[in-house]
Amino acid sequence: MPGIDECLFEAMALPGALGASLVDWSSGLALGTAGESPVGDHETTAAETAELARAAAEYESFAPGPGPADDGPPLEDVIVTTRNGYHVLRFVETSFDSSVFLHLWLDRSAGNLALARIRLRDLAGELVLG
Amino acid sequence: MSVHAAVAVSSMLLRLAAERATGALLRDHGTLFLEDGRIVHAESPATPGLDVLLTAGGRLPRSSWQEAVDRAGPHRQVGRFLVESGRVGGGELEICHLGAVFDAAFFALGPGSGPTRFRRGATHWIGSLRSVSAAAVERETVRRRELLDSVWPYPVVDSAPVVPRPAAPGQTVTPRQRALLHRADGLRTPAQLAWDMGRSAFHTLLEVRRLAATGLVETPRDPTPIPPTTLPGWVTDVDSPDIALLRRLRDALEATL
Repeated sequence: MPGIDECLFEAMALPGALGASLVDWSSGLALGTAGESPVGDHETTAAETAELARAAAEYESFAPGPGPADDGPPLEDVIVTTRNGYHVLRFVETSFDSSVFLHLWLDRSAGNLALARIRLRDLAGELVLG
Repeated sequence: MSVHAAVAVSSMLLRLAAERATGALLRDHGTLFLEDGRIVHAESPATPGLDVLLTAGGRLPRSSWQEAVDRAGPHRQVGRFLVESGRVGGGELEICHLGAVFDAAFFALGPGSGPTRFRRGATHWIGSLRSVSAAAVERETVRRRELLDSVWPYPVVDSAPVVPRPAAPGQTVTPRQRALLHRADGLRTPAQLAWDMGRSAFHTLLEVRRLAATGLVETPRDPTPIPPTTLPGWVTDVDSPDIALLRRLRDALEATL
């Protein structure tokens, strides 16, 4: 019975992982956190990443357009790369009305962006299916 | 953090958390359930509960929820039963439950929420899922109030019927906003729409404020009447009108007409 903590724990096991959280992008609430926050406060990071995720989720330019709904979530990831880090935001689809995503912060020299993206996709799926 | 954050939302809640109390904290707009001082559940008549949130989407049939309550309710392990019987994923239930807890707490800890009582030892039939610290719930409640006001500082839209307005040419309406506007018939309030959509009440309030801020929903004029202006004391405080003087004045005026 994997829950939020197990999911974040698994995310933190990725090479270079510095911090992970599950955030609601509509309100900016952190539902769970692990590791460090880039600003030393997970709640602030949650509110800020939520704004980014909300923009991606709501602006029409990022909408994938019509297609079969079972092909996966309309929006998959938002990726931000910085001089020394990576941020991967992975949207989580639930069977009820929700607006949550996983946020993984990686050290750039130790992290592997492609691997992190694939792993987060799997974790987001496992989190919901149980 | 702003100045408001320093003001305790509920001093009783923080005291109970400090003494690691177990029981139900009852307020006018909702109830918080504590276990060893941590919040394990919350419900409010203003917010859709887990049952509404989980069944509205259609994946969990109402009968399936009812069966879980009937079978596991007496043991106070409905949450565990839902997951172990494969009705809901573990993580999914945690996400839904946490959302419902923060949602109900926002209204339960609302200002002017009347007297607070504590029923020591009371537990909820949902059972033990994920707990959150009272301090975190309190901080989030304050943050949510500020968030609403930063979006559109007109609390009147929170309780008024949602009246949609036509979008301006080229104005973006997001999918979640469209879903809300589609159900807004000019009669239903944000709370009623939240139940209808199986969406958290706070999320619905926030969306309505965002819609009002962009002009896609009417902002009603504040119905609270303007308090009557009071005249300064020197105008109203008349000791005793000099009747004799007034009579003489009247007579004098009549004589000149």
